[in-house]
Amino acid sequence: MTLILGIETSCDETAAAVVADGVRMLSNVVASQIDLHAQYGGVFPEVASRAHVEAIYPVVEQALADANVTLDELDAVAVTRGPGLAGSLLVGVNFAKGLALGRGLPLVGVNHLEGHVYSLWLTEREVPIRFPVVCLIVSGGHSEIVRIADHGDYTLLGRTIDDAAGEAFDKVARLLGLPYPGGPAIQRVAEQGDPTAYNFPRALRGEGYNFSFSGLKTAVLRAVQPPHHGKRQPKRERMSADQLRADVNIADVAASFQAAVVDVLVEKTVRAAREHGANEIWIAGGVSANGPLRAAMTAAADVTVRYPPLKLCADNAAMIAAAGYFRFVRGERAALDMDVRPNWPLVARAGATA
Amino acid sequence: METATRVALSRNVAETEQIGERIGALLRGGELLCLSGDLGAGKTALTRGIGRGWGALEPITSPTFTLIHEHHRARDGQKLYHVDGYRLSGAADAWTVGLDELLHGEDVVVIEWPENVAEALPEERLWVTLDFFDDETRQLTFNASGAQALALLRALD
Repeated sequence: MTLILGIETSCDETAAAVVADGVRMLSNVVASQIDLHAQYGGVFPEVASRAHVEAIYPVVEQALADANVTLDELDAVAVTRGPGLAGSLLVGVNFAKGLALGRGLPLVGVNHLEGHVYSLWLTEREVPIRFPVVCLIVSGGHSEIVRIADHGDYTLLGRTIDDAAGEAFDKVARLLGLPYPGGPAIQRVAEQGDPTAYNFPRALRGEGYNFSFSGLKTAVLRAVQPPHHGKRQPKRERMSADQLRADVNIADVAASFQAAVVDVLVEKTVRAAREHGANEIWIAGGVSANGPLRAAMTAAADVTVRYPPLKLCADNAAMIAAAGYFRFVRGERAALDMDVRPNWPLVARAGATA
Repeated sequence: METATRVALSRNVAETEQIGERIGALLRGGELLCLSGDLGAGKTALTRGIGRGWGALEPITSPTFTLIHEHHRARDGQKLYHVDGYRLSGAADAWTVGLDELLHGEDVVVIEWPENVAEALPEERLWVTLDFFDDETRQLTFNASGAQALALLRALD
C-alpha cells in the first residue's frame, strides 16, 4: 500500500489529506476560510496567506490523526505548486518541503487543475474508468475542456477567452445582491425562477470548444439595471433593491443566467467528447457541484458521465494526494528547491503536458 | 507633474478592443495603465486589445481569481502583467501580491479596478476610465500623468 499525504493551499482552503494507492481516501481535512472571505465578496489574499500559515500545522496533524497514520508510514508528500496565489501556494509548498527534508520523504509537485481531474478517482465506481475521456474543468478561475488519453496525458481542447464560469456566477450573484460564493446562491434562488424568462446570450455555442462568459455578465447587467445606468457603484456594496430595475424578478434572472451557462458548458463538452472519441465525460472543479449542470450533462451525453461527490468538488487535498500518487508511481520526484508556479497551465503552450 | 486628458467614444466591444490594440502597439516597456470602470464596462476587452497590439502569445483572460496574469511575447523578453484589483483592498493587499515589484520594472503593467489599490500606485501612469454611455457605447477618458504617459497619449491622437 502506498500512502501519500496531500497538501493544498492554492486559494481559499487550507487542506490536507491522506490517500492510499491514489484511490482510497483515509482522511480529508479542509479548514475553509469562506467565512473570512464572505465579507469581502471574494478571496482576500492577505487574509488568505495569513490564515494558511495559522491553519496548516493543525490541518496536517488532523489529516494524519484521522487516517490513523504516522509520518513514518508515509511514502511521499504531494503538494499543489500552482496555479494559484503565490503567497498562498508558498505556505503549502514550504511546509511540504520542510516535511520532506525533515523526514527524508520524496516530494511531488502537483498541478491544481490536475488535482481536480483526480477527484474523480476518489469516487465509488461500479464500472471501471476507460480512457480516453473528455473532462470539463470548471471553477472560479478556470473553464477548460481537456482530453485525457491516459494518466498524465492531457490535450487542451478549449478554454475561456475571458471570464471563468465560476467567476461569472460570483459576479452575477453580486449584481443580484446574492451572497458569496455565487454558485450555490444562484442555484438556490434559481429553483424558484423561470429559466426561459430571459433569453441570455450563449456565446460561441456550436463553434469550437472555447468559452466566453463576459458578454453574458454584461447582458445580465443590462437586464437588471435601469436603462442608461451610468452612475458608478461603490465597489464593496451589493446592489440594493432601488438600484435594480423595478420589474426585475431575481429568481427569473438567476434561473435564466444559470440555464445559459449550463447550456454552453454541456453543448461544447458533449460535442468535444463525440468528436474526440471519448469513452466518458467528466466534470470537475467547484462548478461541477451545480445540480442543473450535472443533470443536463447526463441527459445530453451518449457516454458515461462522472462527477465528484459534492465534498470533493471544491478545493481539497485528497485530490492532490491522488494526483500526486500517479506522478509518484511514474517516478516523478521534486527537488527541494521546487518553486511555486502561480500561472502553471495544465497543458503547456506547445500542447505538451507540463 | 504635467497631465493631459482625452476623451473617446467606443461604439461596441470590437471598437474597444481596437483602441486597446493601438495602445498595445505603442507600448515601450515600463508603462502603467490603470483601467477603471464598472462590471461590463469593457476593461478586459480593452486589455485583450492591448495584449494583441503588444504581441502577447497567450490570449488575455480575466485575472480576477488568480489576481495576476503574466504574459510573454516572441519579440523580446518584455512581460505584460495583467493585474485585477477586484478582490484587493489597500496597499497591504497590493504588497501581498507583489504589485510593488512589478511596478518598478521594465515591464508593462495593466491593472483593472485600480482604485482598490490606489495608494500603492505611482503617480506616473495612464488612467483610463470606461463609462456606460448607453447599452453598447462606452466613453473612454484618458488621463495621462508624467512624460511617458503623455507621449503615449499624444501618439494615440
